[in-house]
Amino acid sequence: MSQKKFNFVHNSEQELWRDAYGFALRPQHVQGYREYAGIYKEEEEERSQKWKNFLKHQEEVAQLSSPEEKYKETLLAEAAEFKEEAVSDKNSEGNEGEDSELKTIFPQKGRQGNEADATELKEETVSESGGQVDNAEGALKEEIVIERSRSTEYEGTKDTVSDRGREGDKAEATELKEETLLERGRKGDDSSRKSDSDSSAELNTKKEKLSQETRTHKIQTWAQIRPSLGAIENMMSCRVKKRKVMAGEQITKSGDHLPSIDEARSSGGESDEDIKEKVCVTETSYGSVNASHENISPGDNISTEPYFPWKKELECLVRGGVPKDLRGEVWQAFVGVKARRVQRYYQDLLAQATNASENKEHDNSSGIPRKWKRQIEKDIPRTFPGHPALNEDGRDSLRRLLLAYARHNPSVGYCQAMNFFAGLLLLLMPEENAFWTLVGIIDDYFDGYFTEEMIESQVDQLVFEDLIRERFPRLVNHLEYLGVQVTWIAGPWFLSIFVNILPWESVLRVWDVLLYEGNRVMLFRTALALMELYGPALVTTKDAGDAITLLQSLAGSTFDSSQLVLTACMGYSTVTEARLQELREKHRPSVLVVVEERSKGGQVSNSKGLASKLYSFKHEPEPLIEENKKSEELDDAHVDADMSQMEPSPSDLDQMLSGLTVNSELEGRDPEDQVVWLKVELCSMLEQKRSAVLRADELETALMEMVKQDNRRELSAMIEQLEQEVSDLRQALADKKEQESAMLQVLMKVEQEQKITEDARRIAEQDAAAQRYAVHVLEEKYEKAMASVAQMEKRVVMAESMLEATLQYESGQAKAISSPRLPSSNAHNQGPTVDSPRRKIGLFGLGWRDRNKGKQTNAEDSSDKLSNNQ
Amino acid sequence: MGCSASLPDRNSVRSTGLNNAENGGSPDAKNLRVKLVLLGDSGVGKSCIVLRFVRGQFDPTSKVTVGASFLSQTIALQDSTTVKFEIWDTAGQERYAALAPLYYRGAAVAVIVYDITNPESFTKAQYWVKELQKHGSSDIVMALVGNKADLHENREVPAQDGIEYSENNGMFFIETSAKTADNINQLFEEIAKRLPRPSVS
Repeated sequence: MSQKKFNFVHNSEQELWRDAYGFALRPQHVQGYREYAGIYKEEEEERSQKWKNFLKHQEEVAQLSSPEEKYKETLLAEAAEFKEEAVSDKNSEGNEGEDSELKTIFPQKGRQGNEADATELKEETVSESGGQVDNAEGALKEEIVIERSRSTEYEGTKDTVSDRGREGDKAEATELKEETLLERGRKGDDSSRKSDSDSSAELNTKKEKLSQETRTHKIQTWAQIRPSLGAIENMMSCRVKKRKVMAGEQITKSGDHLPSIDEARSSGGESDEDIKEKVCVTETSYGSVNASHENISPGDNISTEPYFPWKKELECLVRGGVPKDLRGEVWQAFVGVKARRVQRYYQDLLAQATNASENKEHDNSSGIPRKWKRQIEKDIPRTFPGHPALNEDGRDSLRRLLLAYARHNPSVGYCQAMNFFAGLLLLLMPEENAFWTLVGIIDDYFDGYFTEEMIESQVDQLVFEDLIRERFPRLVNHLEYLGVQVTWIAGPWFLSIFVNILPWESVLRVWDVLLYEGNRVMLFRTALALMELYGPALVTTKDAGDAITLLQSLAGSTFDSSQLVLTACMGYSTVTEARLQELREKHRPSVLVVVEERSKGGQVSNSKGLASKLYSFKHEPEPLIEENKKSEELDDAHVDADMSQMEPSPSDLDQMLSGLTVNSELEGRDPEDQVVWLKVELCSMLEQKRSAVLRADELETALMEMVKQDNRRELSAMIEQLEQEVSDLRQALADKKEQESAMLQVLMKVEQEQKITEDARRIAEQDAAAQRYAVHVLEEKYEKAMASVAQMEKRVVMAESMLEATLQYESGQAKAISSPRLPSSNAHNQGPTVDSPRRKIGLFGLGWRDRNKGKQTNAEDSSDKLSNNQ
Repeated sequence: MGCSASLPDRNSVRSTGLNNAENGGSPDAKNLRVKLVLLGDSGVGKSCIVLRFVRGQFDPTSKVTVGASFLSQTIALQDSTTVKFEIWDTAGQERYAALAPLYYRGAAVAVIVYDITNPESFTKAQYWVKELQKHGSSDIVMALVGNKADLHENREVPAQDGIEYSENNGMFFIETSAKTADNINQLFEEIAKRLPRPSVS
């Protein structure tokens, strides 16, 4: 919706050194990224289509399953029931005003048609009970701290929840009572939240808009996710609420009536939704629909039925990756942001921050956050440096977000790595949504991970070591032979949730699954998958540096994100949360002991405290072990190795005891219980170490021999092959050369021939030209000849006519002699030019001779010309 | 102390903190392999020193180190020995100190870095020296490094303080600048010279 702020990520695609998400690519990975860019694009298209279909289907199902009338009916029924309880509870609490508020809400629920009015009214009630809200929110932070400290106990209460689910109506009713008690003064939230499960999407967004408008915050930071994701969100919200319900239980059990503020609901509509969700909790976690659920309300089964086919499908989709443009919202749905969100909470945290910075009197109260504040300031420019979205505004958002979180959860405050998470989330969603998502991830999924002591992260490393040893004993042995501990590498992987470790596409795909599953299982699966993918390469390394460098660079070039995610999810499906919890329980005590020692050691820094003893003891195991090793090597080596292979568990009682007796001297020296216990632990570990070392030695030598032999054989084979190839190539080269020379010869011949033909052609052309010229000349001559012939003919004609004329004249003369008059008339007839008969004679006589003369010169001329031409 | 106590420490069985060369490779007096760990407050430039030394680069906007990161670099000394540094660059934030033992355990060299413009980081450096004296290998070679020497106009920790402190604690002291590459190679060469050589011929 209003996610424009951070969505110019896509604009940066044209930059070559950044990937599609705007993150910088390491130069050595640019090539790899380019190769996969096309694949990513195809995958993206495919998955966006799949998701579109899925969400469309979901919307249809949602419309079918919860028609509004049915919803209203159940709502009213529930409301009536609920009202009674609420009133009675309120009486006991003695809270005036509360009653009337509740009453005003219920009728509104009944007239669902006029949602806008309802929102306005509710906004009013919020402003009326403003003071209440503030109080409640003040208590909220405390509450969250309490909740977190109990989080480890939550898991233990799963069973009671299941019982509760089966108990049906009664349990639900009491649950509702509790919740209304706990949720005083939060009606404002309900206006936006009560309709979450409602499929009336338009109304929903309309309301949200309205409430957004009525609030006048500087930063417009919250946006609702698209309604089509509502179903997923509701499913995931169950998870959130399940934990919260357990928290509530915890509170009531211990007789502690603190209001649990993060459960923000109290109205009838909300309660109805609650019941539904509880059904879904029991269904999803226990896989069976109990008959008792049908009693709750007729609408419930309809709305919860599609959970089964649906969840599997969703899981497949998630493993296939979430489409880019949906990712931000889908992640929010997975984390259950809406269920976690408390209205105004984020704004209040921000206001607190600004107040604290303004009033220097409060420096004491913000003394602890100051340390974080400075760290945050240091780290902000070092978070995705150069990312186009992390401009000044982006950095301000990041700062606000991290400061707000530090205030929200002081037991974590700020931990390096969170800057990357927050930055990533800000790229995908608005600020407040990112805050609640971060809260979900850090407070819930990674509870105890980023706290001051980082206990859970240390525990997880031990667990991972167990798992990898179990899965890849050969690899682990090889690495240990090189002096590499897997946790050196896996530690940063886990702490950064693979951010900056894998290529971004892969990071996001891992996050998709991780957020969907709502626990850290995916961390382990991914890390194991990476070991599976790169283990074969790792066992060929010859020293620690090479091994670590290789693993780092291979991990950094894991562009095939689908392969990674599928290997992780399919190949390690036996790595489950239950299994991890079991292993965590096993390893946690040892971590806790060390952490405690460390904090004590800090206090008693230079005295010979427990810590220093522990460490001095720890740091001189080498000679001890060497001795043991030497003495036992001959006899026990094989037995030990075998035994440890079968039972490497450090908690093995016998081993612990034997360790104790070996070190009884130490025990006698220090009688403190804790020291004894510590020593037991240490001894058992030493024992384990010793046997493992022996086993490792044996295996290592065998392995190294194998590796060497393998290498030698491989190398010689390779050399042979290469030589063969080289000779082949040489042969081919020679052939080629021969061919080339033959070709050259042919070419030369062809060229020569061409030259000859060319010459011939040229000569022929010359001949032709000469002939053409001769023809031309002859033609000319012919024409001239013809012309002269024509002239001659004319002259002949003329001569003939002249002859005739002279003949006539002569005959005329002859007549004239007989008649003298005639000549004068004749002269007159001849024209003015002829004056006299003498002249006439001259004319004829001379004229004819002249003409003959002219003809002669003409002929001479033409003959001259001819001779010239020739 | 973190995982250190509970993790089976096979590494230290072989490498007594002096020289990892025995591990996996051929023990060789001419070709040393050394595990080196960088410690120090956040933002003093640990990663920058490593990057300058290994890749010859300097990036003023480098990333926050989460957990730890690894790089290795080999240098040749004048006496024709080569030293391969396997460098663990640790995260600076205080709470990551819980994980530091994982990395400094078995290290032959610890380089403790502070920022000469930040007295607090000098205090933090002293904390690390104490921690290593308590929990590190007994014969670990320690170097105290005052980084950001190029910002001498903002200096708040006098060089004399560093010299005195390192003399009192048997350390090697140098002021460096990853930005200008000042003294970076000298730092590692000096460390290499101070390494105990294996007596094996």
